[in-house]
Amino acid sequence: MSFQEVWSPFLIGSFLWFAGIAGMGSVAYALLRLYRVEEKLRELSLVLFASIVLALVFVVADLSRPLNMPLAILGSLASGVFIAKLAVSWMTLGISLLSILLVLTLALALRHTAVPALSKFTDNKYFLALLALVGLLVTLYSGFLISSAPGVPFWNTALIPVLWLISASICAIAVLKILVHEEKLSRILTTSSLALDAAELIAIAALLNVALYSGSIAAKISARALLAGELAAPFWAGVVVLGVLAPLVLGFMLLKKEDRRLALAAAVLALIGALVLRILVIQAGVFEVVGL
Amino acid sequence: MRLAHLWDQSKCIGCGACIAACNAANYASSTKENRTWGWIRSNIKRITFDLNAKPYLLLVQCQHCDNAPCVAVCPTGASYKDKDGLVKINPSLCIGCKYCMTACPYGARWLDEDTGLPAKCMGEECLSRISGGLEPMCVTVCPAGARAFGDIDDPKSEISQKLRKGRVVKLLEYKGTQPKYFVVVGP
Ligand code: SF4
Ligand code: SF4
Repeated sequence: MSFQEVWSPFLIGSFLWFAGIAGMGSVAYALLRLYRVEEKLRELSLVLFASIVLALVFVVADLSRPLNMPLAILGSLASGVFIAKLAVSWMTLGISLLSILLVLTLALALRHTAVPALSKFTDNKYFLALLALVGLLVTLYSGFLISSAPGVPFWNTALIPVLWLISASICAIAVLKILVHEEKLSRILTTSSLALDAAELIAIAALLNVALYSGSIAAKISARALLAGELAAPFWAGVVVLGVLAPLVLGFMLLKKEDRRLALAAAVLALIGALVLRILVIQAGVFEVVGL
Repeated sequence: MRLAHLWDQSKCIGCGACIAACNAANYASSTKENRTWGWIRSNIKRITFDLNAKPYLLLVQCQHCDNAPCVAVCPTGASYKDKDGLVKINPSLCIGCKYCMTACPYGARWLDEDTGLPAKCMGEECLSRISGGLEPMCVTVCPAGARAFGDIDDPKSEISQKLRKGRVVKLLEYKGTQPKYFVVVGP
């Protein structure tokens, strides 16, 4: 048995992480603007734009024919195949969604920096609704992308997009926690991340449980590697303890009394945990065992 | 027309001539490693099952699935199913995302690091052989007559006749891929 080496766990794991931060972060931006919370929107817009750019850098870094990409996509668009592929390939849909989110977050970053006049468009409720929708779809896409790869049974489950959605929401809240100081909003963020941490724990347990009992030998090998095998140390320490349990405990402490340093620690741990989770899930992939 | 491969496990003597011939014809006898499979640069992979009492050998290559996941997931249409029923790659459209590799349940693709392409059966030389009316290299060289290739929609073709006679297994059929690589396990 060996782990898949088709996709680099570090590059694709980081891509999925940044895509999640940009995706659910965009949803958060739209919500904050609709509820007229103005604090730190400028910083948030820059984080969103940087995240989507970094997501693209990491995914392109894993391509084995990056130089062929522009012409290949143009050729595919010209023949109409790309449009038809939108209905069947998550990668085609993803390329389109990431490009749209890149443009939307660039507009936001410009509105808060060099071109304030853009606010006429970006503060419009239709723009914000589109931003939230595309952000949500990018997050879901980052899950469906790997869950629709039937060669690797551990990924090939609808639990991955669910887990990614929860985990990306935790990341977006963590980014806000780092940026925002206002007490009322911090409290709302603490309560929401507590609920999401608990949900994430259940989703991780469900993913491993399905892998262990689904009947696929490859999925079982992946789950065992994470639970008690080669990847167990980073999984238990990085994902479960530091990434979920520690923010959960800190969250309960923050419920009693908001504390800036504790809130920062919880946010940073949650972000690191989400990154390690994605890297490990990609790393743990094992190809189906072919037999008679 | 649906071209397909057949491999007769009950006749195969495990000599590896097909594997070497694929390497020689399609990859110019390159001795570079195929790192995806930890194998030579050949489109045929040998899997040995050491089941103590009943060891057996399986040769696996692209199944030219009628319902190919690699074709479905490919973002640009670089992986496509041709009119002859074979699953092919158009290098000019391939961006090297390797999605087809993670989508293939048979692990039938390997990364050619020279071209960045997700290589698989059939290689270029074999494709040009069949367009010239010849057989793929592995079929031609097999000394045991364990291989066949042809149109399964034509009842008179050699492969169709063999399919009617033998006990045939399709690999991972439950995945819904509708594979067209037929493993004959006995008369
Ligand atoms: S065996 Fe794999 S590479 Fe070949 S057609 Fe099927 S899914 Fe595609
Ligand atoms: S690596 Fe090439 S052939 Fe494979 S899915 Fe990506 S673009 Fe298509």
